[in-house]
Amino acid sequence: MSKGVGVDLEDVCIRFGDFVAVREANVSIKGGEFFSFLGPSGCGKTTILRAVSGFLEPSEGRVMIGGKDMAGFGPNKRPTALIFQNLALFPLMKVWENITFSLEVQGVGKAARRKRADELLEMIALTGQGDKLPSELSGGQKQRVAIARALCAEPDVLLLDEPLSALDLKLRQHMRTELREIQKRVGITFIYITHDQGEALTMSDNVAVMRAGIVDQISDGHSIYNDPATPFVASFVGENNVFRGKVKSINGDHAVIDTNRSGDLVARIATSAKGSLNIGDPAMMFLRPEACKIATDTSAAQNRLTAKVLHEEFEGQIYNVFLEGAQGKEIKMSLVNVGQERQSKHSNELTLEYNPDQAVILPAGELASE
Amino acid sequence: MKSENFLLKFFLVAYLVVFFGYLLGPLLVMSVTAFNSPSFPKLTPWECLTFEWFDVLAQDERIITGLKNSLIVGFGTVILSVVMGLAGALMLTQIWPKMRATYYTIVIAPILIPGVVLGISTLVFWDRVSVMLGFGSGSFFQNGIFLTILGQSTFIASYCMLVFVARLQRFDTGLTEAALDLGASNAQAFRKILLPFMKPAIASAAVLAFLASFENYNTTTFTFGKFPTLTIELAQKVRYGIDPSISALAFIIICLTVIGALAHEVYRRRQQLALNNGAPLSAVTGSFQLPKFLRGNPAAIVLVLISLGGFTTIWFSQVYSPKECILDVREQKRILQDLRIQDIKRKRLEQQKATQGTQSTAPANSSTLPQSPNKGAFGGVFAPDNLNKETGKKAVPQSPGKGAFGGVFAPGNLDKTGPQDKKSD
Amino acid sequence: MNIANFFRNYFEKNGIGLGTFLLVAVVFWVVVLIILPQLSMLDFSFRHHLPPPEMGGPKDVYTLEHYEYLILGAPGADTSYNVVDLGVFGRTLMAAVFVTLLNLVICYPIAYYLAQTKGGGGYTRILVLLLIIPYWINEILRAFAFRIIFGDSGLINETLLVFGLIDNPVDFIRANVALYAGLGYAYILLMIFPIYNVIESLDRNQIEAARDMGASWTRIHWRVVIPYAKPGISSGCTMVFMLTAGALAAPQILGGPSSLWFTQIIYQWFNQGGNWPRGAAFAIVLLVTCVIIVLSMMRIFKVRMGDIGK
Repeated sequence: MSKGVGVDLEDVCIRFGDFVAVREANVSIKGGEFFSFLGPSGCGKTTILRAVSGFLEPSEGRVMIGGKDMAGFGPNKRPTALIFQNLALFPLMKVWENITFSLEVQGVGKAARRKRADELLEMIALTGQGDKLPSELSGGQKQRVAIARALCAEPDVLLLDEPLSALDLKLRQHMRTELREIQKRVGITFIYITHDQGEALTMSDNVAVMRAGIVDQISDGHSIYNDPATPFVASFVGENNVFRGKVKSINGDHAVIDTNRSGDLVARIATSAKGSLNIGDPAMMFLRPEACKIATDTSAAQNRLTAKVLHEEFEGQIYNVFLEGAQGKEIKMSLVNVGQERQSKHSNELTLEYNPDQAVILPAGELASE
Repeated sequence: MKSENFLLKFFLVAYLVVFFGYLLGPLLVMSVTAFNSPSFPKLTPWECLTFEWFDVLAQDERIITGLKNSLIVGFGTVILSVVMGLAGALMLTQIWPKMRATYYTIVIAPILIPGVVLGISTLVFWDRVSVMLGFGSGSFFQNGIFLTILGQSTFIASYCMLVFVARLQRFDTGLTEAALDLGASNAQAFRKILLPFMKPAIASAAVLAFLASFENYNTTTFTFGKFPTLTIELAQKVRYGIDPSISALAFIIICLTVIGALAHEVYRRRQQLALNNGAPLSAVTGSFQLPKFLRGNPAAIVLVLISLGGFTTIWFSQVYSPKECILDVREQKRILQDLRIQDIKRKRLEQQKATQGTQSTAPANSSTLPQSPNKGAFGGVFAPDNLNKETGKKAVPQSPGKGAFGGVFAPGNLDKTGPQDKKSD
Repeated sequence: MNIANFFRNYFEKNGIGLGTFLLVAVVFWVVVLIILPQLSMLDFSFRHHLPPPEMGGPKDVYTLEHYEYLILGAPGADTSYNVVDLGVFGRTLMAAVFVTLLNLVICYPIAYYLAQTKGGGGYTRILVLLLIIPYWINEILRAFAFRIIFGDSGLINETLLVFGLIDNPVDFIRANVALYAGLGYAYILLMIFPIYNVIESLDRNQIEAARDMGASWTRIHWRVVIPYAKPGISSGCTMVFMLTAGALAAPQILGGPSSLWFTQIIYQWFNQGGNWPRGAAFAIVLLVTCVIIVLSMMRIFKVRMGDIGK
């Protein structure tokens, strides 16, 4: 199979009438990469995918595949294959006909197609199921047929539009691994659209987080989670306790913000905000629930908070403690279940502490709505 | 409460019986008259079971030609209507939204426009086109087949479009996109994805179009020119005198319709059965077995019975000859008539004695006519002129029980053999 | 979005070949088969009746003569209005209304019954099949069947005679009984199905609820079912009315010798009178009147065009 080629979006804007679906997207995807667009529904990620696959032309800017401007090339002329959200398997064609449809339209003979279908069926572990109709397959099997059908076209870029959303949880997790393995095996570029951060983080080499038509951050999953570029990313990916305030002091990589309710808090300045954050600016501090610990030292400090236990939820490997800080500030804390005594239960009032390197400060901005 | 329910039920059943009696009764009566020997289609009195009218039908040149024309027109109309209807339905899904309501009104209007108006406008328009292009009369644009196909397609395409629109609403446009994405051209996506999906709808639209074309009268009656379709021929026959060969034709058409409807029902049920069982359709159709197919499928059973009955009837018609019965009836009538002839002769003699002026039997004939049960509506057949040409067999049935005709039959007529004698050989 | 943009998108979506084909088919249908012939007929109806050589000549000018004829009658006639043709026109419309109402009364219960017993399985299905079958029998043959039944020596007369209920055959044809029965019969299906389709989608619980609250059957229908079925009822009535007013076969075959249907007059102008422009003018009058009646009914009952033909 062909080695994956890169995809570049240069200043892509897509408008529908007055509505701007995507604005000035600049994304560079390397060949052979597993790249995800992550965002809530309606953020424009599917629109970008359709622009890459050729179902719509950007209003401005260019879509480049393998360094070639794709303007004027329809979906059937682009080296891309798309796996649809609802899979769009042809209901009236047998599985093997579905898989080799791209060869059929090229006029490849039946015997050759059948042979290729058998190879692909073997790859997706559906050997011998080629003569069934799609309606006779289970959800996971359909999923794999859709992948095989897309791969049969030998695309340079495979586009996946939330293909796992219809599956149940177990299968979804299984398919994540499987997709990643297939991608490594065939070595082509995968562009994956999802609103599920778990999918994006587990599978991708790089993730672009989108908000209302804007690409907020592009980087690997680790940075997205630990070093978000905007309050939106921080609040959309994973859970975060948000503290609003004003920048009180800056000390190298760290800053202190003055929150009204919780006093002064210290944290690391996010990479994207370095140099641009000034004293007095409105800012937000993001503290992950799992970064919170119960302090043994209860003296006041800039990385400590006092709070009252409201209730807790036990999830097995962790338990979540919901607390109420000063003036009703809600705080969530997650503790790994290592068999320790559930001290939160006894002490109604407790002190939290965190490592300032594990919390980030960003200029105030829009949060992801729940 | 209970008695009220009972009453309700009683009225319901009565209503259903009356309703379906009204709906099916006429067809039944008409079918049965095809097998009665009198030359006017009637149920009572029942004289002789005969298949003669089917022979008469088969030898009717005009009916045969009409059928041919109908088939040609039907074929053309099906193609044109299905193509236009499909294009019209596809256009409806894509048309500029502001235009959609207007467009829909225009393409649906032909269903509501009286067929007469469609026929006239088609005729006038193409006549104009022909004149404008400088063709003489009898040009292609005035050809009956051409005009009829266009006139019928104008509204039949609307019917087809409705069928297609209903089907298209269930189409996932993602499938076309998927095909394009996999490298298919627009034409390939259309041919390999949309068209197969539309296939059932195309089939039903085609059947619908053919039936609508076949039975159309209002439009065709203005456009047929030199190519009368079967329906036109039927209308002519019915308007200017009827005989049971029309009933025979009706019987054939009814049988075909019933068989077609049942076959469709069987097919539908089998699909449903497959669906209900959760078994793949391919498996059901693949291992097709008669008993399985009949199980829980009354339509199939009825269909099998009907075809069996049909074969039996055909076989019976080959073997059975109504000759004897007809001769019997004729013999009885002859005796009756002889008596009457005697009677009339006697009266005439008396009359001649009384009034010297009356010379011929013709006035006597016409004076008997008003008493006949066939006044007015069926005039042409019973003109005295006709009666003289008719064979005895054809004229006999008009008289039973009324006996006003006696004088018109020259006794010699009765010796001639009726047409059925030749045919049953 | 302007028209140019629409066409660009359209061809992008369908491709040049297929797009052109669809466009040509639709334009042919809409323009050449639907619009132009109607306009041409309209134009034609305003012209003098001329022999072919004079067509397009100096005498070929617009005139209202045919419309005047319909209203005023032939010049120099005794009466100041064309009593005969106008009378036939009025009678046709009245009869069409009558047949439509008759059909509605007959069909509403059966449509309701079929729709409500839909779950009844094969039995209902067979009833539906029985409904459809007569509709696929040739219109002429259906009329013919009624003639067999209503004729002087037809089934009804013979039966009545046998039982001694009458002494002489009743002339059902002359009394137009056969005609109304035949016309009512012809379009029954077009009344039943729209109503059936609508009532089928009515939640049965609504009826149960109304009954639970003590409503009588008539009230349930009047307040719940009929308002809900309104689109179906008006759709059915529209079709039946238009088709009945425009019927030709049944009046020709079943009509009494003294009563004409308006379409028969049009037919005569075309096929026997040979005065095409006059026939066209009469056809226009029929078409316009029917459309006005239907549109005003739709306005009164607040039904949209989109409901027709479902």
